Amino acid sequence: MGDSRLAEKVYRAYATFFDQAEAERRWNPYRDVPWGEINREVSDDLILVAETFCAVESYLPDYVAKGINLVRKSFGQAWFAANWAYEESKHSIALQEYLVRSGRRTEEQMFDLQDRLKELEWKLPFETARQMTIYGCFQEMATFYIYVRQEARAQTEGDGALRTIFRLNARDEIAHTHFYEDVVKLLLEEDRAGTLADIALVTRGFRMPAADLVPEYDERVAVMREAGIDRDTFLQKVYFPVLKYLGVTRRELVEAAEADRKPRTAQPYRTGEIETWRTTTLGSPRRGKT
Amino acid sequence: MKNRSELIALFERKATEVAEREIKGVDESTVMSALGIDSLGMLELVGTMEKELGIHIPDDQLVGLTTIKDLIELIEERAAA
Repeated sequence: MGDSRLAEKVYRAYATFFDQAEAERRWNPYRDVPWGEINREVSDDLILVAETFCAVESYLPDYVAKGINLVRKSFGQAWFAANWAYEESKHSIALQEYLVRSGRRTEEQMFDLQDRLKELEWKLPFETARQMTIYGCFQEMATFYIYVRQEARAQTEGDGALRTIFRLNARDEIAHTHFYEDVVKLLLEEDRAGTLADIALVTRGFRMPAADLVPEYDERVAVMREAGIDRDTFLQKVYFPVLKYLGVTRRELVEAAEADRKPRTAQPYRTGEIETWRTTTLGSPRRGKT
Repeated sequence: MKNRSELIALFERKATEVAEREIKGVDESTVMSALGIDSLGMLELVGTMEKELGIHIPDDQLVGLTTIKDLIELIEERAAA
């Protein structure tokens, strides 16, 4: 299958994604959150989670600028990136509105946080479109899972507004996950060996982005782990389910990783492959989330 | 089936390959995360051991492994299955 056929399939995946988004997922952070149901007494940990996600989402300009350039030649992927950015911007707006309306942060504090965030710049964790698409599968799924956990927590703590925000955000995240997964499936059809090698590479180098960007990140991560996701949970709820959906086994990834490790200094076919990916095919923006 | 000393030696060899730096001095009480290999790297490491030993460990049993002893006991259990 040539690149043009692949591009057509990706565009169809995007069209399906976009149609569903328009029909079922559009929401307004100012109008669709029950702001009257804020519980001003929720725990500090829950507030910290909301603030951390707000901070990570605040790197959106970097995610968009760098991610979309990687995929600009793929119509479906580039348009997905634009829609993705729109949806993610609402996540940040809703969380920021919540923090201020709940009285747990002032507008001044939020602007101060934004200023501190802008001092650093997010960089792409992987260099090719295909690698970033794979990365997107795991990262979006992890974010979905964390939001779901936080939704339950907000419900337990009696905050209907924050519960709704987490629910709406989670719904977007899982939709993004499925799009990325569908694209990776197409990539596996197109070039299974190369895509497996990239999945192995992303697996090996995966880490939550923004770890070196968001202020006091280590303390935030400690709270986040306590609140919803640790390494084992990541494997159970994110990593293995994504592999299963993709139809990829650990054995295949081990073999791909071994093949990659042995001739690391001389792999002419992979070099060419990566160059092809960089210039002609798919991928997606990725942003930091924990 | 290899004995525990041999399994630890195999672990060290595979960990060195995966981490691309020498890893030695491992014993049963070693906490795997202390080796500087994260949980996803550990999956690759365990996968290479499964391949060499000719066993298969179900994904769900790979969750909750903390020490080398945990891993060795799991390998022994799967080898005996």
